[in-house]
Amino acid sequence: MSKEAQFKEIFQANSKKIYHLCYGYTGDDETANDLVQETFMKVWQNLDKFRNQALISTWIYRIAVNTCLSYLRVEKRQAKDELTDNIIETKGEEISEKNEQVSTLYKCIAQLEENERIIITMVLDELPYVEIAEISGISEGNLRVKIHRIKQKLTELYNRHERF
Amino acid sequence: MKDFEALKSIWHDQIALPKVSHEDVLKKVRKTRSGLASKLLIEMIGMGIAAAVLIYVWIASPFTMWTTHLAMIIFICCCIYYILAIISNYRSINYDKLLDKPEYYINHLKKYKHDRYIFNTRNYNVYSIFLTVGFILFFIEISFMTPLWLTVLGIVLTFLWIALCYFLLMRIYIKREEAKLEEMIQNLERIHKQFEDSEQ
Repeated sequence: MSKEAQFKEIFQANSKKIYHLCYGYTGDDETANDLVQETFMKVWQNLDKFRNQALISTWIYRIAVNTCLSYLRVEKRQAKDELTDNIIETKGEEISEKNEQVSTLYKCIAQLEENERIIITMVLDELPYVEIAEISGISEGNLRVKIHRIKQKLTELYNRHERF
Repeated sequence: MKDFEALKSIWHDQIALPKVSHEDVLKKVRKTRSGLASKLLIEMIGMGIAAAVLIYVWIASPFTMWTTHLAMIIFICCCIYYILAIISNYRSINYDKLLDKPEYYINHLKKYKHDRYIFNTRNYNVYSIFLTVGFILFFIEISFMTPLWLTVLGIVLTFLWIALCYFLLMRIYIKREEAKLEEMIQNLERIHKQFEDSEQ
């Protein structure tokens, strides 16, 4: 299989989940797309190292996590975030209930700490704990405790949001 | 009231998809690679030409004073230092680090930003001092070889340019870059702490 065909296959199999991770991390659709693009550019540059690896997805997630962590908000990006929030609020009535729930969920994720956002999006996407531990570099024991705490925190945030 | 399982089902109901395709990624890879390489190449060729011109002037001109020879050595060293800085900057963009655990990756980024901070502040000051000393030494022999007005004009224009770069242009650039890098380092330290806390 050619490098391009292999890349296409990898992209189709992983891009949706990587997009969720990036969207959960940044809370902004446009930035999330930029980060997806950046992640897969790095995947392409590292593709030769992945050959013969059993779980390519773990490495792609690792690259995506590191790309997200190195994304640092500067003034202009913050302004855009506020704008996105405004759009969500003013168009709130027009979008369906489901979309509203999804956007509320993303807003709540945005209120978590950076590493919590990364972990919880992987939990929501139902990645096995062993894989999340491998990606985030946290031991499985610590991860279980951490996930329990983040789940509670996110549920509380969501329910508080829904009440208002 | 919703529990976590309800949130999970909301998450799975989302229809949001990335707006980039694998073709977009490959297009960007080709564009970025050639863009970065050509920018670095232009900078290196520019400095290489400057160094070559300096060596030619040094060999071809009948300089007799040791001060001029020292000035030429300083100028050429400055050019070589600049070229080496470009190469080292290029090599520090190391894709292997991306496969590290996030905690180590953040540490690598922190170190990189810190090195850039030192480069933009301390190293630039040393570079400017060396250039100034080089020009002072260079103009000693020039003052014997050319009419006084020409020497004075040369000295005034050269030092005006160095002063403009050092006190105005670079100060503005360094101030902006320093603030940005300082903010980045603080953010990276905060994120790094989150991963340290995870291990407790």
